[in-house]
Amino acid sequence: MNYHILKKDELDGFIKKLSNSMKVVAPVAKDAGNFAFQEVSGASEIALKYIPTILPPKKYFMPPREKMLDFDISGPQPVDKAVLDAPELAVFGVHTCDLAGIQCLNMVFSERPRDYNYLRRKEKIFLIGMECGDYCDDHASCALVNSHMPSGGYDLFFTDLGDRFIVHVNTHKAEEIVEEMGLAKAASADMTALEKIREHKRGAFRNEIGVDPRKLPEMFDKGAKSKVWEDVGHRCVACGNCTNVCPTCYCFDMADTINLDMKTGHRDRTWDSCQFETFAAVAGGENFREERADRQRHRYSRKFKFPLDRFYRFFCTGCGRCTRTCMADISLKDTLKTLAKETV
Amino acid sequence: MNNAPITATKPKVAFFDFACCEGCQLQVANLGEPLLDILGAIDVVEFREVMSEKWDKDYDVAIIEGSITDHHAEERIKKIRARSKVLIAYGACAATGGVNGMKNSFQLDEIRQYVYGKDFKFFDSAKTRPIHQVVKVDYFVNGCPIYPPELVEVLKCALRGLPYTVPDNPVCSECKLNENVCMYDKGVACLGPWTKAGCNSWCVNNGNICYGCRGEVKNPAKNAANDVIGKYNLSSDLIQNKFEMYNKCKEGDTNGKK
Repeated sequence: MNYHILKKDELDGFIKKLSNSMKVVAPVAKDAGNFAFQEVSGASEIALKYIPTILPPKKYFMPPREKMLDFDISGPQPVDKAVLDAPELAVFGVHTCDLAGIQCLNMVFSERPRDYNYLRRKEKIFLIGMECGDYCDDHASCALVNSHMPSGGYDLFFTDLGDRFIVHVNTHKAEEIVEEMGLAKAASADMTALEKIREHKRGAFRNEIGVDPRKLPEMFDKGAKSKVWEDVGHRCVACGNCTNVCPTCYCFDMADTINLDMKTGHRDRTWDSCQFETFAAVAGGENFREERADRQRHRYSRKFKFPLDRFYRFFCTGCGRCTRTCMADISLKDTLKTLAKETV
Repeated sequence: MNNAPITATKPKVAFFDFACCEGCQLQVANLGEPLLDILGAIDVVEFREVMSEKWDKDYDVAIIEGSITDHHAEERIKKIRARSKVLIAYGACAATGGVNGMKNSFQLDEIRQYVYGKDFKFFDSAKTRPIHQVVKVDYFVNGCPIYPPELVEVLKCALRGLPYTVPDNPVCSECKLNENVCMYDKGVACLGPWTKAGCNSWCVNNGNICYGCRGEVKNPAKNAANDVIGKYNLSSDLIQNKFEMYNKCKEGDTNGKK
């Protein structure tokens, strides 16, 4: 077992050393109890205790707006050149729900045809996880999907032991950095303290819906025509907040922009949302999901049903962001509970 | 609209203003570096705010600011339309009616008297209309003022004969990507959830609320509006008043269609 110790008063030095070789981002407190991943230069700027950030760290893996290529149409044949802006980056303080989200995205973008922009950017990102000892708030449902415990997908993983962090070293790159920083090996007392925290979590985190997760896909089969979708659709603003903040939503749109010289230009991809009215509209005026109710059911199905057939895992990480951000108070936990009542 | 790209020589472009504050023209004049690129692509033949020359031939592109609020303006815009291959309505006043639409909340003579006094009969006035309620409009650039990067995009579409669609998602969709703290979380009512995006949540990025200047989305969430009003303990009159500041002229659109 490769565990090391970082004293809390040494965190500032750790961040500063790290930022010598790469940009470091971490959760930072914003107004009204919100947090966001932002560039930091020292430990004092970092919010060690935070509820999930407005946008998940997926914004570093697939930026909301990303240039894919430059083109030139002035010659007899159009010419294009792929571009990729992927700086070395350390993301510090990623909760297990968001690590699970990145694991989901890794699977999606590794499928053929592979997404090289995503994969090459991912190679440049050094992920440092941070354990939650307790629930962040009532909107989280991480125990339902079993993402409250660490399960890989990081380089380093921090657990708060009071005056110090115990740090799990998970990759070769992480080992080099830990060695360079000279972090001491964890002692058996540290391991006991870690086990105590895990023991507490096994009691504190309980399936939030009270339904066996294996039953979830079946619930969606049976509940395709449930009234719950009508109700959710009735309330939905169709603002796309829920998908924008989701750590596993990856739908995007692609568009070309020409420069004012009318010869050169670039192709960008931007995040899209299945909640927008235009998302499933096609030529001829047909719209496959014209109603908000259909679009909401689709969103939930993309978390609890479809990905199970394809990737053998839930694409909900229980972070609770969609509920927190919803203007109309649509709650993921409540929706699932109502659906369970009708179908289980 | 003629869809063939305008290429032969540099296209002749003219700017005109009707009832407005000319703030959108100011945005164009203040574009900075992109303005030089624009001037490399077009030939500006009329633009009252920055030049005194006039043009007596046809316009490839006419860019119209302001709303139509009297009969003289109606005749003038019809003449401009007849001389223009492509017509762009830019700024809230021209594209959706904007703040001028507030006039439509009153009886016409009542508001004329309020503004012009006892001799109001000598002053011509009509219900406020955005340009498309009077003549055909090929492109819309919503907003008060226009969001300059959007005008540049629309201009490029016009020069290439491509369509441009004003985004129909709520402003929230862009605001969230900018990771702004929601105005409602700060206890302030904001029109973002019902207003067309495309401005990159310009106002909220700068600490202000969304005033709805780009117009209501086509299919606004009426029920959700009630929920939000309830959730945040707002008065529905407050939201209604905020809406009417920019959206009053919508009533002149038949079923929201142009």
